[in-house]
Amino acid sequence: MDIGLQLTTEKTGLKIDPRTKIMILITVGIIMMSGKLTGVEYILRIICTFVPFVLLLSVRQFKSAFGYLFILLCVELCEGFIVPKTQGVLNLVIMIICGIISRFGPSYLCGWYVVKSTSVSEFVTAMDKMYFPKVITIPMSVMFRYFPTLKEEYASIHDAMKMRGIGKTVKNPFVYIEYILVPIMMSTVQIANDLSAASLTKGLGAHKKRTHICNVRMKAFDVMLIVALIAMLVIFFIF
Amino acid sequence: MQKKFEIKDLITVGVFTALYFVLTFIVACLGFIPIFMAIMPLIAPILVGIPLMLYFSKIKHFGMVLITSVIIAILMFVTGHPYPIFIFCIGAGLLTELVLFLGKYESIKCCVIGSSTFSLWILGMTIAFFFSFRESYLASLVDGYGQEYVDKMMSYTPTWMFFAMIAMCLVGGLIGGLLGAGVLKKHFKKAGMV
Repeated sequence: MDIGLQLTTEKTGLKIDPRTKIMILITVGIIMMSGKLTGVEYILRIICTFVPFVLLLSVRQFKSAFGYLFILLCVELCEGFIVPKTQGVLNLVIMIICGIISRFGPSYLCGWYVVKSTSVSEFVTAMDKMYFPKVITIPMSVMFRYFPTLKEEYASIHDAMKMRGIGKTVKNPFVYIEYILVPIMMSTVQIANDLSAASLTKGLGAHKKRTHICNVRMKAFDVMLIVALIAMLVIFFIF
Repeated sequence: MQKKFEIKDLITVGVFTALYFVLTFIVACLGFIPIFMAIMPLIAPILVGIPLMLYFSKIKHFGMVLITSVIIAILMFVTGHPYPIFIFCIGAGLLTELVLFLGKYESIKCCVIGSSTFSLWILGMTIAFFFSFRESYLASLVDGYGQEYVDKMMSYTPTWMFFAMIAMCLVGGLIGGLLGAGVLKKHFKKAGMV
């Protein structure tokens, strides 16, 4: 999966409203993080497992979609059938590995999908329509843009360290953290400066109501999805 | 001391909150291993204290820390933490605002103390193990993780642990803040970035 650029519009076949996407993210997050492995909740978890798969398919990431589905189904089956039969340390180890993958995997991929398929202006428009205050939406949209950059920065720092032959020779964890963190912090300051210059030219600083050019609207499909998601949450909290 | 809230401040908030959140999340993932869960409030603030100090050095007026804490609360809620996280985040944010205000947003000492008070929000992640939440949360864990795991967790989190965690947060934040101040002095003062 390439994290860098935004997916272009012709690549995103299925267009979902950003608000619906946020709802998907919340639902999957809540159900996967605290779902139990018995009865109705197990079924809900299986459903939630398929959500990122469908989302990835809709942006044509076939390879990662099927890879994800395979890993997650293995883990889910493992949690459902193997874990209750094991004992002691083995149980604990399987539990922890499966737990991390099944709890964070779907949420992470949903988050990846939301960041990839939503342009910043779409996100801001949607938040504006929900009457979110500007002081929250602007930092959040900056964060959206910054997460992929952070990953790139980390990769290039790692490369630079490798080229100079530092990397593995550093034994002291504090020194290692310093080597990684300080350049990242430097670039963070730099990026903050660049972004504020860019946003000034875009007129974000003006004290007027901004208009939006991109078309963000709830369609029948979005409404259906949201109703389904709310139904899932209700079932989840009642049982 | 500047009074006005500018767009530049909001962007600084966004970028640093992203960095802070990613670092916290990495440490929080370790929390799945039972023993790490118990000492996470100590490790997390030490690591994140370093960028936090740089962030504090950029803050010149009221509100930015509060926004950071609200955004972290929202993100943590979305990733499936229970609702008390809002109370803890906003409380820690306000407390830190007060500390920074007392230092007139300039004193390094107050920044270090602020880093220690701000890390109190981490308690919001672990509150589910204590007090009235304990029974129902652990019961839900039995189904999700199995008895073995829950027994381990229970043995690491008696009620006094909560108060130990408060101390851990404060001490961790203090160490992180001091480390951060050291890093700032070593790398950023020279480059003229603070």
